[in-house]
Amino acid sequence: MFDFDFKIVTEWLHALLTGVMPEWAAILTESILVALAIITLYAVFAIVLIYMERKVCAAFQCRLGPMRVGPWGTLQVFGDVFKMLTKEIINLRKTDMFLHNLAPFLVVTASMTTFACLPWNKGAQIIDFNVGIFFFLAISSLGVVGILLAGWSSNNKYSLIGAMRSGAQIISYELSIGMTMLTMICLTGTMSFSEICAQQAAEGWNIFRGHIPAVIAFVIYLIAGNAECNRGPFDLPECESELTAGYHTEYSGMHFGYYYLAEYLNLFICAGMASTIFLGGWAPLVIPGLEGFNEVMACIPGAVWFVGKTFFVVFLLMWLRWTFPRLRIDQILSLEWKYLVPLSMINLVLMALVIAYGLHF
Amino acid sequence: MDNEKLTTESVKPAAPTAAATPRPVAPKPAAPAAPAVPAENLCELQVVAPEALHAEMKRLHDEEQMDFLECLTGMDWEADGLGVIYHLESTVTGKRVCLKTVTTDRENPLLPSVTDLWDVANIYEREVFDFYGIKFTGHPDMRRVFMREDWVGYPFRKDDETEKNNPLRMDNEPLADDTEVLTLQADGTVKSNRREIFEDGDYVVNIGPQHPSTHGVLHFRVALEGERIKKIDPVLGYIHRGIEKMNESLTYPQTLALTDRLDYLGAMQSRHALCMCIEKAMGVEVSDRVKVIRTIMDELQRIDSHILFFSCLCQDLGATTAFLYGFRDREKILDIFEETCGGRLILNYNTIGGVMADLHPNFQKRVKEFIPYMRRNIKEYYDIFVGNVIFHNRAKGVGVLTKEQAISFGCTGGTGRASGWHNDVRKRMPYAAYDKVQFNEVVRTEGDSYARLLVRLDEIMESLSIIEQLIDNIPEGSFQEKMKPIIKVPAGTYYTAVEGSRGEFGVLLESKGDKSPYRLHYRSTGLPLVAVMDTVCSGNMLADLITIGGTVDYIVPDVDR
Amino acid sequence: MNEEKNYIEGLLGGIRTLCVGLKTSMREFFTKKITEQYPENRNELQMFERFRGSLTMPHNENNEHKCIACGLCQMACPNGSINVVSEMVETEDGKKKKQLVRYEYNLGCCMFCQLCTRACAHGAISFDQSFENAVFDRAKLVKVLNQPGSKVVEKKVVKKPEPAAAPAAEAKA
Repeated sequence: MFDFDFKIVTEWLHALLTGVMPEWAAILTESILVALAIITLYAVFAIVLIYMERKVCAAFQCRLGPMRVGPWGTLQVFGDVFKMLTKEIINLRKTDMFLHNLAPFLVVTASMTTFACLPWNKGAQIIDFNVGIFFFLAISSLGVVGILLAGWSSNNKYSLIGAMRSGAQIISYELSIGMTMLTMICLTGTMSFSEICAQQAAEGWNIFRGHIPAVIAFVIYLIAGNAECNRGPFDLPECESELTAGYHTEYSGMHFGYYYLAEYLNLFICAGMASTIFLGGWAPLVIPGLEGFNEVMACIPGAVWFVGKTFFVVFLLMWLRWTFPRLRIDQILSLEWKYLVPLSMINLVLMALVIAYGLHF
Repeated sequence: MDNEKLTTESVKPAAPTAAATPRPVAPKPAAPAAPAVPAENLCELQVVAPEALHAEMKRLHDEEQMDFLECLTGMDWEADGLGVIYHLESTVTGKRVCLKTVTTDRENPLLPSVTDLWDVANIYEREVFDFYGIKFTGHPDMRRVFMREDWVGYPFRKDDETEKNNPLRMDNEPLADDTEVLTLQADGTVKSNRREIFEDGDYVVNIGPQHPSTHGVLHFRVALEGERIKKIDPVLGYIHRGIEKMNESLTYPQTLALTDRLDYLGAMQSRHALCMCIEKAMGVEVSDRVKVIRTIMDELQRIDSHILFFSCLCQDLGATTAFLYGFRDREKILDIFEETCGGRLILNYNTIGGVMADLHPNFQKRVKEFIPYMRRNIKEYYDIFVGNVIFHNRAKGVGVLTKEQAISFGCTGGTGRASGWHNDVRKRMPYAAYDKVQFNEVVRTEGDSYARLLVRLDEIMESLSIIEQLIDNIPEGSFQEKMKPIIKVPAGTYYTAVEGSRGEFGVLLESKGDKSPYRLHYRSTGLPLVAVMDTVCSGNMLADLITIGGTVDYIVPDVDR
Repeated sequence: MNEEKNYIEGLLGGIRTLCVGLKTSMREFFTKKITEQYPENRNELQMFERFRGSLTMPHNENNEHKCIACGLCQMACPNGSINVVSEMVETEDGKKKKQLVRYEYNLGCCMFCQLCTRACAHGAISFDQSFENAVFDRAKLVKVLNQPGSKVVEKKVVKKPEPAAAPAAEAKA
């Protein structure tokens, strides 16, 4: 079931469309369909994640979370989204209007493009080419431009401080992310997401194949990924208690909503990448020797595996967020430069040695 | 004697009894005769002439080691002039003195400043200037502190026409960027200079008055160099209600209701201080039962306050989960309070001569359940927050306050004790049942934010042990002494202090023998703590301001009064 | 060397404390939640009996209250939230006495200090446990506490009115 190739569907659709219209029109139609699919999925996952965050955080805090709107508060987030959509977008005097309005779109575009890189199922991947990881890293760092612009154009001291912190933080932590990805590329030998997943389906999850260095890389990736998403304990750029809301202090209505969406989706993307690279993507869990178990696992569709693993990682990240106090900006940077970067460099060497001596599975 | 009826429930069948009480006897408005023995909290004021004041203060400070300026109170004695009462204490010998200085010039009153001797005098003298218009020569920053800068007149003067001079202003409050400095020349004239508060090119960020982590409507103007703090200028008064002035037109029982609204996490202790001050001044001795009840309640309040301190610190540092753990436990105390006092925050429990109602039958049971519960949960605080390496990095060595600074700024309570200053009023001047219980004064020497948190957490344990010692030994007795229906305090100046949740809470009461106080001044626990922020924060980072503000632990309604 | 040792020790010690924190929050994840689900639990919700919700004047089954309109509560109130309207009536035996017409209580400026209930020698007023006090119009916060057509309980009238009125007059002066 998991190895159901989604290409069958897309090729069938392509054949169907080229039957009734010229090739260019077919491709255009497909692009529009894909774009709609991304936007819908993006919104749906954002809503699910916001609901999950509120419930999970409540459970950590001995609370129940939203309970009033709908059974178990399930409709709460819909209410919030509608509220946000109907709110006025306020333009302030003395802001740089053009940049101020542009910034949220940059953030949301970057996040949507990276969202398109995720391999949902075998053959169900929108952006897939041989330097996929490279592309992912490049696009994901676009978001920081939006944040810096937001801080600069708001003409607010809190926003500016928040944006500057964010810039320093995100650019630093990209180093660790790149380094851990590099470690895993050593193991897989490819940068294409589809190949990485196919390889893991055939040979086992990377986190098991690469054992010690892979686990270290996984942990570093989680920490750096959390920082990359500006989430606690690294939520300095918007830390409530000092900067009220950091770079998005001056935004209202759906412009604020875009930042909010992008924050949650970045969390999902970060977790999705972790599950693709470390936890096998859409590949099922295979335990050598337990044939019956493996057969049951193989019956679960690949998309369910992927989403399930991603939400597991999301839960881990939420657990971190709702346990720890916030770091200070200098401590965030010293954590990165003094601990994570050296560690991931050593880890890279370790991985290279493991591969060179064939110690991996 | 309508006070014979103490609670509403105790009276329900008692119409004949109540009717039999000799009601008309009591309210004779004759001035109460001064008691033969002076009240134990009566201040013996040494009068010092303004010209000799500074030299005398310097002598006391240097030679008699009077290094703690406990309280500085502005006064308006009408025809006798305007003046200031100083309470000094030596942290070395424990000796205490009260001084008084008067100037008869109402147009342009001038007194010498003592800011050079005690740092805390800076903000106290600004308060006196704000309320009484007394200018202090040698003071570096003679601005108003609580009132708007465009306020006309000095509201605490007895002859001030506050409402006539100050119609409701619809424009924004001005905030000056410079301040006045008065210097006394050698020839006796006074020279006035202007001084800039911030330097040109300073990047000034407003923290507050609407800000999540200033714990109320407090406003800091912070000059930054990058992320580092260069200078802090606190702007106070956003929640100033003029409680001290209101007291002058209220009867004594009515003044009590306002003390709960000062430090809302020290409602029990503030009200305890005022009740005790009035009782001692009148020579009323409360029963042992009342003393023990008050002690237990004070300690519960202290635990409540310290838990909230911990919670808010967690919240400020982004550990929202630990914040809610604190609130979960605090809820238990609030339930105990509500059952006996009928309130959770505004407790309204102490009265002159006793307490409002006897302990609820469930009280002992609930408290006994709470003590082990709290001891267990404190461990969780350490696990999730205090022991955490992130918190260690954020708090250790951050915002160090030395012992000398703490004393000079009058930072009492946990903040002072974290710097190694033994300042606990419960040990210095035992009151209520504190002389009957065993407890340690928690003192640490580091003086940083981490020590300030640990002091509070250890004090929770000490408070639990105090309550444990008392809860099974509450003596029988009346919970309310019989008081006259109209309470009058013999003429005199009285000062009583208790250990509030965040330091020494003092009450200075000046009475002329009327049914209302002539002047009722509260030594705010929080004002010195706000005053010290500039010193503690300079050189630290903006994020540390939050940590330091959280651990220094001020409550804004108590600062502004 | 020492510095490297500190670096490694700091790292491992730090990770250990973080794990303790994670363990604690995970334990709480599964504990019973403490949320009170108001207003769903409105029926079971029991306030403490001493809770001060708003001032009331209890009436007995004959629509009688205990207020003799002495005005002590009005005088004790620091905020002026009580207004006692009374009239002088002549009793059957020819004596003049005060009688309550309207007992106005402004919940909006009450600060629940209990001075009124303490001042009342007859237990005529007390606090109840109602706490849902929100209204859309401030005028609705001014309540009349004596029920229409109610009168004072008879037995007290014989003895009380004179002494009760005396301190009232005196305190006013």
